[in-house]
Amino acid sequence: MSSEPIERRVAYIGDRLRGSSCTSCGKEYFKPRDYCGTCGRESLGRMKDIDFFYEEGTLEVCTLINDPTNKFTRLSPYIYGIVSFHNGKVRFPGRLTDHMANDEDSRFTDFEGRKVVPRFRRRHAAEPSGIVPTISLAFSLADEYYPHQEYKISEPSKEYEKPGIVGYGVYTSRFRIREGTMERSIPFLDEDSITAAVEAGKIALVHSGVDHESICKVYVGSESNPYAVKPIAAKVAQVLKLGEECQEEGVQCVDAIDTEFACKAATSMFKDAASLVYYPGFEQLNTLVIGADNSQSAPRGEPGGELDLFVGYGGGAFIFGKYDVIAQFEGWISITSDTPDFWRRDTQAYPSHGGRFTGEPAYFKHVTKAVRKLMDHLKLTPGDVDYFVAHQPNAAFPARVAANLGFKEEQYLPGLRVSNFGNTYSGCSPIGLAAILDVANPDERIIVGSYGSGAGSDAYSFITTTQLINKRKRQRFTINYQADNRFLTHVDYATYRRLKDGMQAA
Amino acid sequence: MKAKCPAIVSVGRTKFGEHYEVEPEKLVEEAGLAALDSVGIEREDLGACHFSDYFLPITNKIGLEEGFLSELLELNIPMEITRSFSSALSSACNGIQAGKYDLVLVGGMEKMTDRWDKIRDDLMLLEDPWSYYAGCTPEANHELMLRAYIRKYGIKGRQLDILSTALAECSVKSHKSAMKNEYAQFHKEISIDTILRARTRSRRPLGLFDFAPISDGASALILTDSELAGSYTDKPVSVLGYSNATDYITFPSRNSLTGFLATELAMKKALREAAIKIGDISILQLYDQSTMMGMVSLEDLGLCEKGKAWKEIHDSFKADHDYLEVGERNVFVNVNGGLKADGNPLGATGGAEIFEVFQQLRNEAGERQIKSDSELEHGCVHEVEGFGTKAYICILGRN
Repeated sequence: MSSEPIERRVAYIGDRLRGSSCTSCGKEYFKPRDYCGTCGRESLGRMKDIDFFYEEGTLEVCTLINDPTNKFTRLSPYIYGIVSFHNGKVRFPGRLTDHMANDEDSRFTDFEGRKVVPRFRRRHAAEPSGIVPTISLAFSLADEYYPHQEYKISEPSKEYEKPGIVGYGVYTSRFRIREGTMERSIPFLDEDSITAAVEAGKIALVHSGVDHESICKVYVGSESNPYAVKPIAAKVAQVLKLGEECQEEGVQCVDAIDTEFACKAATSMFKDAASLVYYPGFEQLNTLVIGADNSQSAPRGEPGGELDLFVGYGGGAFIFGKYDVIAQFEGWISITSDTPDFWRRDTQAYPSHGGRFTGEPAYFKHVTKAVRKLMDHLKLTPGDVDYFVAHQPNAAFPARVAANLGFKEEQYLPGLRVSNFGNTYSGCSPIGLAAILDVANPDERIIVGSYGSGAGSDAYSFITTTQLINKRKRQRFTINYQADNRFLTHVDYATYRRLKDGMQAA
Repeated sequence: MKAKCPAIVSVGRTKFGEHYEVEPEKLVEEAGLAALDSVGIEREDLGACHFSDYFLPITNKIGLEEGFLSELLELNIPMEITRSFSSALSSACNGIQAGKYDLVLVGGMEKMTDRWDKIRDDLMLLEDPWSYYAGCTPEANHELMLRAYIRKYGIKGRQLDILSTALAECSVKSHKSAMKNEYAQFHKEISIDTILRARTRSRRPLGLFDFAPISDGASALILTDSELAGSYTDKPVSVLGYSNATDYITFPSRNSLTGFLATELAMKKALREAAIKIGDISILQLYDQSTMMGMVSLEDLGLCEKGKAWKEIHDSFKADHDYLEVGERNVFVNVNGGLKADGNPLGATGGAEIFEVFQQLRNEAGERQIKSDSELEHGCVHEVEGFGTKAYICILGRN
């Protein structure tokens, strides 16, 4: 049974690891409090809010849990221990995540003293009808796949005439399955589309350097929200503290909305997000668009099981604004038709799709039309374009659509990353775009042609700026870093299905 | 007016273990009757009843224990419910000392095996919820403290092997002692190898045989003041000092990760109240929820130097002593088998610890009776709620 009030309070404190510090004696506490235990009455009104969400901690001592309490059985075995922050000033309990505790972990003491980073994750199993419990008392090793990244807010310096991307972040998990030439990112047991959305958003904030308070609206595109009703965006807004926080009421002054249009749920909102920051009379506003999916697929051999060859896990987040833009909007075109090439009815566990029809009348027609129309509108030829990114449900479709449109390999290969991560659905073309932003130079033109089943395509043209280079050093979690990383954990098919089922009993 | 001195005139208990077919009330009845009958006290003479249990509302959906007790005793006297037996005894002592009651029944029970599949989750109620959310188990904090202990005192190599063996020796000794305890949950000797193998199998620092079991059971005693005690028995046992101390529920947030402050404070206060020195204590019932907790508690109680208890344990074991040699003194520890082998039905555990000291001080422990050069004068009972969140000390003396 979920208790709504308890879930609300635990998430409010635990998702962000909120705490307090005494401005008199400097003592720190995990969990907010109104006075300091040492200073007593004197400290009333002198406690400062802190949180440990972007901090790096140390795993002081740990043990192996292989006989957990009931709601943790699917996570077992795992490492559990005491994590300290700020040189031992504050300590709290934590579980090591992104780690499959195998036989070697008899030497789990080796983990003691290692640096760790808090991760926003599912807390434990819950009833299928209940609230999804979350917490950031899960940690991963800072010197492995997921590095600690400091979040430094920088003052906006340069205003651009046209709005554009001011920062981006991509999150894919360290767990992969490799089959043939295709490698796919798969969620750890405590991950889902919500945790990927938060993670991608967090990395985008770090990269952009914009103040989280300046975000006025967040859009989360996903077709794998664990809830049929309840927005992912609300979780993202609260965990990332988007917009001004009104502490008394515990609310954020931000608009948050989920969108759904198969794989183009996020790209569809790029233009809306950019228009909002361009809205007359408002200054220094930013918006955040996230595409994140942990999409379902039937097990191989069952109806719909062919999707199981391609489905990936991850998310991409883009912050739009008018200041310190790294890529400006040049133009956009969207097209739509009622083409039922892929669908999932409510309460159905796995989607269905239209077999060979997903290619010709669906994907190719829509992407080609949208991109051609945009290029005609902007009077561009393929030679005017430096990079082209298409939605990539597999490796063949985007390569063929690029060739049909007249693009060469050097234009579309840098953004073709499906073989690294699988099809991340709403996160798919955003990840391709991020891969290009990782390597592009200033004053280059990028064309994006997303695709969403059902069906439609959004085509965008972006022109990069010099800020792209300035901000690059803040992007440690690049696409190449995530694609080719010695800490990737490759698993077999059975483990992949187990991880995909997550903490719920299959 | 000088406060009266509480005195125990009789004790009773059930066997600890799994009582599959027995209703909780029946266990309470058995322990209570044993205490009442042994001194021929009529129920009508009781002024009040203090009763302890942690989990009856959860394990047996018994939320208003007083009502069940009232039916059982056919009495309408004041009754109060607490968690630990020591806590119930403290309240009873307060009543006696204040002169409010002349005769008080103190009881405790637990029926943990009735919720076998969920009791470990229930036990997490004794930890802070954040530790639970992070994936803690009832055993994990014991292991984390052991790790912190090893790191703090820089124990490694051969020394670490000795520490590890010393902890196993605690368990071996507990099981051996329990062989003579008719009420004990386990009547089976175990070897060091068995304990070490269980650790290897679990791949953790502590294994199955390092922890006290899940148990059912009940215990009881009759408390009066020392002046009235003579009318019930020739050999009352006085409560010379009793106290408790508390600490943060969140173990990781505490100042010390290598000991229990609550135990330390409670012990100091109780000794002061009893006006005796630690060296005067010859029998100790240690709350050894794990071998680690037993070891560290020896330090917190002031019997061993910090960071060194394992050496003393090991040396005593090697010398085949049935006592712990501390300085010049010999202290008999957990002669009933302790929580490890006697069993640990939470609400009744403290009662079993007092039961043992009571019998030993009266020279009535039969086969288990401690063979000591001098007569036993003082005993100490140590009980803990949670992982060191609350500690109770009760110092008992002959006469």
